[in-house]
Amino acid sequence: MSNAVLVIGGGIAGIQASLDLANRGTKVYLVEELPSIGGRMAQLDKTFPTMDCSICILAPKMIECFRHPNISLLTYSEVTEVKRDAGNFTVKILKKPRYVDVEKCTGCGTCMEKCPAKVPNEFDIGLGSRKAIYMPFKQAVPLIATIDPEHCLYFTKNVCRVCQKLCPSNAVNFEQKPEEIVVNVSSIILATGFDLFNPSIMSEYGYSRYKNTLLSMELERLISASGPTGGHLVRPSDGKEPKRIVFVQCVGSRSQRGELPYCSSVCCVYATKESILIKEHLPDIEVYILYLDLRAIGKGFQEFVDRAKKEYGVKYIKAHPGGITEDPITKNLQIYYEDIPTGEMKKFTADMVVLCPALIPKQDNKKIAQVMDLELDEYGFFKSKNELTAPVDTNVPGIYICGYCQGPKDIPESIAQASGAAARAAERIMCVTREAGS
Amino acid sequence: MNESKEIHVGVFVCHCGVNIGGVVDVPEVVEYAKTLPNVKYAEGSLYTCSSEGLSKIKEAIKKYQLNRVVVASCTPRTHEPLFRSACEEAGLNKYLFHMANIREHCSWVHPKEPKKATEKAKEMVRMAVAKASLLEPQAEPEIDVLPSALVIGGGVAGMTAALSLANQKFTVHLVEKESELGGKLRELYKLYPSDHYASEILEEFLQAVRSNANIIVYTSSTVKHSEGFIGNFKVTINHEGKEETLDVGTIIVATGADVLKPQGMYCYGQSKNIVTQLELEQLMKEKKLERPKNVVMIQCVGAREGKEGGRNYCSRICCTVAVKNALQIKELFPETEVSIVYRDMQTYGKDFEEQYNKAREGFTQFIRYDVENPPEVFIRPNGKLIVRVHDILIDGTLELDSDLVVLSTPLIQREDAKELSKILKVPLGSDGFFFEAHVKLRPVDFATDGIFVCGTAHSPKTIAESVAQAYAAASRAGIPMTLGRVRTEAITAFINEDSCTGCGTCINLCPYNAIQKDERGVAKVNDVLCKGCGVCAASCPEKAINMRHFSDAQVLAEATAALGET
Amino acid sequence: MGEFEPKIIGFLCNWCSYAGADLAGVSRIQYPSNIRIVRVMCSGRIDPTIPLEVFMRGADGILVLGCHPGDCHYVEGNLYEERKIKMLKMLIALTGLEPERLRLEWVSASEGQRFAQVVTEFTEQIRNIGPSPLSGEKPNQKIFENLQAARNVASEFRLRVLVGRERELTEKSNVYEEKVSQEEFDSLLGEIVEAEFIRHKIYLLTKTKPLSVKALAEAVEMKPADVLRKIVNMRRKNMIALDHVEGTTPLYKALEVK
Repeated sequence: MSNAVLVIGGGIAGIQASLDLANRGTKVYLVEELPSIGGRMAQLDKTFPTMDCSICILAPKMIECFRHPNISLLTYSEVTEVKRDAGNFTVKILKKPRYVDVEKCTGCGTCMEKCPAKVPNEFDIGLGSRKAIYMPFKQAVPLIATIDPEHCLYFTKNVCRVCQKLCPSNAVNFEQKPEEIVVNVSSIILATGFDLFNPSIMSEYGYSRYKNTLLSMELERLISASGPTGGHLVRPSDGKEPKRIVFVQCVGSRSQRGELPYCSSVCCVYATKESILIKEHLPDIEVYILYLDLRAIGKGFQEFVDRAKKEYGVKYIKAHPGGITEDPITKNLQIYYEDIPTGEMKKFTADMVVLCPALIPKQDNKKIAQVMDLELDEYGFFKSKNELTAPVDTNVPGIYICGYCQGPKDIPESIAQASGAAARAAERIMCVTREAGS
Repeated sequence: MNESKEIHVGVFVCHCGVNIGGVVDVPEVVEYAKTLPNVKYAEGSLYTCSSEGLSKIKEAIKKYQLNRVVVASCTPRTHEPLFRSACEEAGLNKYLFHMANIREHCSWVHPKEPKKATEKAKEMVRMAVAKASLLEPQAEPEIDVLPSALVIGGGVAGMTAALSLANQKFTVHLVEKESELGGKLRELYKLYPSDHYASEILEEFLQAVRSNANIIVYTSSTVKHSEGFIGNFKVTINHEGKEETLDVGTIIVATGADVLKPQGMYCYGQSKNIVTQLELEQLMKEKKLERPKNVVMIQCVGAREGKEGGRNYCSRICCTVAVKNALQIKELFPETEVSIVYRDMQTYGKDFEEQYNKAREGFTQFIRYDVENPPEVFIRPNGKLIVRVHDILIDGTLELDSDLVVLSTPLIQREDAKELSKILKVPLGSDGFFFEAHVKLRPVDFATDGIFVCGTAHSPKTIAESVAQAYAAASRAGIPMTLGRVRTEAITAFINEDSCTGCGTCINLCPYNAIQKDERGVAKVNDVLCKGCGVCAASCPEKAINMRHFSDAQVLAEATAALGET
Repeated sequence: MGEFEPKIIGFLCNWCSYAGADLAGVSRIQYPSNIRIVRVMCSGRIDPTIPLEVFMRGADGILVLGCHPGDCHYVEGNLYEERKIKMLKMLIALTGLEPERLRLEWVSASEGQRFAQVVTEFTEQIRNIGPSPLSGEKPNQKIFENLQAARNVASEFRLRVLVGRERELTEKSNVYEEKVSQEEFDSLLGEIVEAEFIRHKIYLLTKTKPLSVKALAEAVEMKPADVLRKIVNMRRKNMIALDHVEGTTPLYKALEVK
């Protein structure tokens, strides 16, 4: 058995699995498709229920991955082929070209200052902007610039090259080619995380039409100190501070209408968290959460919600949301809903609406499943070999799953599953893996 | 590395985004730091723990010949190891590093007093610089780690952890209080979502455990006493009446939880037809459930109480269990009416939400109540039961006839866990469950190195979640055991042999028997056994004992620096 | 003039009270900003000389926070500290400084609220007691000297060995099944604390210059008859000696005791 493991996905689950294995002497290849590891946790402002600054508790782990002698960090890379090979896997990994020499780049940021091409920033869900040559966020690991060929003026129009002229380390290399490497591993751990369902197709909510209707992750970026407004909570339409914010839960989730019938499990509590953050920023603001069931199910969560109600005055309303309309002049929003306790249809004006959308497995999971012969469930999550007794195993011996890509869960559960997958991979290296669940 | 005797302190003050910078005037603190004695360099960072921030520290160490580093940021309890590593990488001994906690102990608790918070932060930096100036480089002793683990609790979590560790080629001592392994699995009926009988799953686990040569099972056994530290725990168990001592490298707590018996609530105990969900499962398992006509289940009995000193947590699984059992009853007796009286339906995730939908389609009634207006249970003279509930969905009061009332009660910490927590010196949280090292990032670790927790001993959860946590604990425990050695902290006592008169006071006080008299009658500290509490130093009649990294002089320097410029 | 802002020094143990203070921070529970926290591994680390030195430097209040009994990470460090603090309070009472300025409390890692409460209450209490006589522009010289004597008492063999053995004596019986009751012990401790304090006071006072009973009585604020009794006792134990006689007045000087 090879003494190496491949981890696909550089979010907190992938990072935890990699560190557990690396710390016991196993060689780990950590592959991440984005230019930096960190995943969703890097985008969050604070984490519930402890209200830790998310990047503060994540960054040390990211750096540990980067510096660990047993971890080969392969960011901006993808797995293209997996072949089974007598119990091991031979994997082809494609390192996409950054057009920046990673040995020479010091992360100084000079190139980004002068680049003339501005692009909506994916990290800020389009609320902020970046340049065509960029580092996705301030604490990116590795802290190396990347050129996006779709927006770079040199690649699209054959002009500019300012970054190359100015780079003090001569690190820009427009001739860089993709590089393929082949590795041999005994296990593969999938930790590909999740995306946010785009509720634009639910016309009744007006997302992407109404300027002041945001997705929860967009709100996180607005209130985050490292976000596009430096942490100032302002309305996208006019830059003013909102006076009343309404959260709408279960957007696209638990729906019988053909969207996603499952519960994303974390939204009730993160909406509570965001409400508390909003109240800390603007103590006089009114915050309402329209919810179906208040799923504060984890350790300390119910107490967290109780605090939000008692100490911060967040108002929770049991409601079936109807629709949202926009006032064309003020850009305020009218929210219609069925008030569950009274059964009445009510309406309500707010200057900002936050939609908590379903969290969905990544589209790429389908491709990965194909490449590795894995089973997906009907929503696109990777399927556990046995949901009860083998949650991190899959139908393919040696391939393990953890984190949200296995099913809705929060950060501590993702970390537990990640360590769990690491244990299974470690067992496999010892070559006496019994079939889990038997 | 600065070879001269001159102390060069570098101070790095963190904004931590707005967590500190939003309250404390960080630039002012940086400027102040520059005025302190021995400080050769000071700067601020947005996030000192980022790779950029760490690089700045390492560069400054080299450029300014720093031989002491102070970081003013968050709590050392999370970030000290990270900054220490950065110092080591720049060639500085990690014990020449100190932190000022200007976040948890300053900006976060004085958010409305930015001026006072800034003054306090400045003083805290002064205190840290004063101690740092007196720090000495230290060497860490290495200890061997025994490749064997103790798993306390033989339920599904304990068995999973034991199997994983055994497959990692470690010896596992699996200690179970009851006469048989299995825990709650022995009492459950059918499981969801796989629709297996609990007994089938149990049998699979038992077979795997029995056939694994690396697992030694001790049933009818309890843990009596524990001493030692990571790599070398000495645990005494009572095994079927006899005492046995086990030497292990790591310990995993998987003691499970109990189901609350709601005495005094909803007439529980006054009728044999008012039962808990677990008792219902036992009835179904033993085929003792007489065909009920109307079953009413009440959720949140003794949970989510929302009051001071109450049981305020949500027990996570009760709604799913209720729905599962409702469907079970319907399967056994299709004519039976089942109603679930609930506050919020906590059927989270994929499969549980699906099950909830299935139950609704299958004519299980869901009646929603408010915590302000809980349901009531009455027992008629003829023994029949009535549940009165204010249904908020129709805004009306219902009276439901029932011949079986099932109370969904929370999982609670076991009584004997309190004893165990004292034996192992691991804490319990305010909800009674074991308290992990960090709620977010270290869910299965205890703060004490080498001891881990998993399953419902940690908090209410499903079997799948317990299994995942058990594998996690096995992964974490496997790390030091695979490495075979760990470095221990250099914070240990040392005795000035010339001052020691051999009175033996320290030897009597040391809880780890880390001090012995040598052949001359002089006391000597065993660096590996010493855990650095400092009680010997504080008690030695001759003041012959001092503590590395926490000497009298260092502690005093830090304390008195708060009282004025030194 | 402005309101008096007490300077409070807190010694917090890493495993319980420091973690509790962190939790108060994480929970954003507010409390007065007067406290300055010094982290130690165990509350048992706090040698009695440490709070005395800190008071000598002008601290208005000192909080020592440890784990609840039974929960100490190092088994019983907190219980040993409890004994030391009790002795310290006896000693401080003799110096003229209010012993309430020193407080020992138990705060666990999950008691963020309690930590904030203790700090708030203590800060208020100290605010009401007023500034330490050793703080400010004109520190009280007499109390300062008394604290010096107290610090010397607390560093010396006699008291330390007694306090070090307190638990052994009161909790465990010897081979004859004899145990010292807590009252007996406290009474003995009180006597020794006082005797040692007077001795050290006298020592400091007579270090350079031998003094008469009358002069000593004034300095230690005791009746001359009581001072004489002490001196007789101390002579018997070779702690003090007659230096010389001036006219009809004997002058005494303390001896170094080894």
